[in-house]
Amino acid sequence: MTLAADPPAAETAPPRGPAIYFDGTCSARNDVSVEAGTAGLQIFSADRHLLDEWLYAELRRQAAPDGVLRLGRNGETLLARLEVRDAALAAAIEDRAVTLDRGGAAERKLRRKVVILSLAAVVSLIFTAIIGVPVLATRLTPLIPVSVEQKLGKAVDSQIRATLDTKHLGSAFVCGTGASGAAGQAALDKLVGKLKTAAALPYPLRVDVVRRADFNAFALPGGHIYVFQGLIDRAQSPDELAGVLAHEIGHVAHRDGTRTVLQTAGLSFLFGMMLGDFFGGGAVVIAAKTVLRSSYSRRAEAAADTYSVVLMRKAGGDPRALATILERVMADKDEGIKVLADHPDTKDRIVAINASAPAGVTTPLLGAADWAALKQICAPLPASGIAPASGTAAASGTPAGGGQK
Amino acid sequence: MATIEILSPIVPAAAVRFLGNEDAYWRLRIKGAALVVVTLGIYRFWLATDARRFLWSNTEISGDTLEYNGLATELLVGFLFAVAILVPLYMVFALVMLELGMVAIKPVLIGFALLALLGEYALYRARRYRLTRTVFRGLRFDQHGSPWRYACYALVCWGIVIVTLGLAYPWTQAFLERFKMRNTSYGDLQGGFEGSGLSLFLRGLPMWLLIVGPIVVALGVLSAQIDWDALSRLLEKGDDDAAKMIGNMLAPGIGIAIAAACISFIALPLLYPVFQAVKLRWWISGLRFGEVAVTSRLRIRQVYRVYLRLLLYLFLLGLLASIMGGMTVFAVVSIVNLIHNATLTQVAVGAISLLLYVVVMIGSSTIYQVIVAAGLWRLGADTAALTGGQALDGVRATGSASSALGEGLADALGVGSI
Repeated sequence: MTLAADPPAAETAPPRGPAIYFDGTCSARNDVSVEAGTAGLQIFSADRHLLDEWLYAELRRQAAPDGVLRLGRNGETLLARLEVRDAALAAAIEDRAVTLDRGGAAERKLRRKVVILSLAAVVSLIFTAIIGVPVLATRLTPLIPVSVEQKLGKAVDSQIRATLDTKHLGSAFVCGTGASGAAGQAALDKLVGKLKTAAALPYPLRVDVVRRADFNAFALPGGHIYVFQGLIDRAQSPDELAGVLAHEIGHVAHRDGTRTVLQTAGLSFLFGMMLGDFFGGGAVVIAAKTVLRSSYSRRAEAAADTYSVVLMRKAGGDPRALATILERVMADKDEGIKVLADHPDTKDRIVAINASAPAGVTTPLLGAADWAALKQICAPLPASGIAPASGTAAASGTPAGGGQK
Repeated sequence: MATIEILSPIVPAAAVRFLGNEDAYWRLRIKGAALVVVTLGIYRFWLATDARRFLWSNTEISGDTLEYNGLATELLVGFLFAVAILVPLYMVFALVMLELGMVAIKPVLIGFALLALLGEYALYRARRYRLTRTVFRGLRFDQHGSPWRYACYALVCWGIVIVTLGLAYPWTQAFLERFKMRNTSYGDLQGGFEGSGLSLFLRGLPMWLLIVGPIVVALGVLSAQIDWDALSRLLEKGDDDAAKMIGNMLAPGIGIAIAAACISFIALPLLYPVFQAVKLRWWISGLRFGEVAVTSRLRIRQVYRVYLRLLLYLFLLGLLASIMGGMTVFAVVSIVNLIHNATLTQVAVGAISLLLYVVVMIGSSTIYQVIVAAGLWRLGADTAALTGGQALDGVRATGSASSALGEGLADALGVGSI
């Protein structure tokens, strides 16, 4: 077996060339010559001893710098390596060993599969988020005991109050606490009492009016409802306020707060845990969550509107009053943006409310004196020297029937 | 002198070199980043594996290159394991928080400490995974040692660093590095670390004085000006004027405080490359494997060049993003003006800004990976040399591969590295 063979024999003689061999037990570097035979590689030491024989079927390509074919064996416990820098020999080995994935076609196919399957996963994830999560949350919500819900509401409450109370009014943040607001509070209690009786909820309601100039009201899990002073100021009849309250009671009755918590947790799980925390991915996740949440909340709002109409009829109030106040506030452009941010499609909501509620004359849920007192529930601040919120004085000075632009 | 050092031919037997071509790495990273975005992150395991293969394969030590033989699927499995562990943990957390009320500060702190502990645990196990997947001359590296012990040490070290305003950092680093390297082996060659905390401290002290010093001085000056007795009397009375009173007392010192803050804020970015250079050189020079010692000739201005390139590329990316963003927003606005649909405009502008944001974020991360992470890797390799390198010729095999759980945990907790 010599390297210098005569021409006809050269065609049949197996390709041969230099390589570096590591036996996997010792780090010593062995300069070897490798012969690419019919079934496998024969590795010869410098003094022509056969060191090892590797079958083509068990060869495996290992990561290496450009221009080096680094080979290992499948299923090895030792990491023996053969490094071929000789281009002709490397090509000959790649010709003979199919497992080496010449040109990386098999690897590329695998990668393509990963990308396609990931895309499929993303699509199914989005479907789950849109359809599965709200359904699951709706099924799970009734299983959560009311006591847990109230605890949840309490835990959220102090945080919410701290973020709302931007002027740091402390205990003065809630209206109707002092002697000055007592009449207003009594009127409010009367109004809430009527709704409560009509609603027949399994747990107590608590309504607090707070000193915030914007038009808003919301319910926490467990039945705690916040009404902003701005809403009281803009309401022109007790039924308008009652309509909004009935809407919030609808959220309480439907346990939307708890459901939102479950939905948010579900979404966080889906997007946060299963999928990547890649750089910049956070924003995509937040955007996706925001869009999905607003789609969930749209459904919840519509349901609460329907509830408001039913409850107002039961209580003997004007079921269309909610639509009236929404319409007025929507016309007020500056506030309209804020409302739109939380309650999209206000116009559609108004149409839906008016469609489901019969028109007709009803007697207001509160008498004129009670209503006047309720409008004043926030007016005189306790003597702490803080100026009233802008617009409060003008609005509260307006009689209940007076047009407000 | 330094230039001659860099240009002078390296003695092959003791040499460490980086052979990789930066353009190839750019291609790898950019293609990977695009796929990571498309797959919402799942491809990151393949990208990380490709990047490691590239960096390892192109690092040549005494004439032979390293080999990374980890698989992306191992990382994926490790990640899934981590999720399986973390999900119930997060749930227990949420329940406990709910039970105690969300504002309670103690559970939050305990939770944070637990997560930090888990993070350090994950880092140690991830290091083990990477080492056992690193092959050199047919033998693998290995790491022993309890990850929980390491995590506890690391947490205590961070506490000490915070309490000493960073002054203890060199010693804690030396301690942790010693722990890691003493538990590291290449075949039967035992690892070690000989960087001393004191030497890093002496090199870092001028930087500390310029960055933290002014703030400490300013705080000292300010607190000296406060009449504490008067203040406590005011606070007892619950007077609203307390804030005003403090303001009056501090007024003369405000100038000093602002000047100090300015010095710190200017010094911080200017000195950051110096800090990185000093630390990297200290770390490389401290590495030992049996008789083999590593030395580093890394120069500070080489690291500066890396960070200047980073700034340049980030600037170019920002420019590109602004032009692209401006053009698309203009196009969308002109189209929407024809349609008159406010919701559509909002959606379109939102989608564009989100896309731009993702491009900028993933772009800057790619730039950072190529220019800083790989750049420092290249610099570190090219400026390193071995003494006693002949000991590398007679190492015997030991050890076996480990699971990728730590890596998965590190990924899920967001504490992963290269």
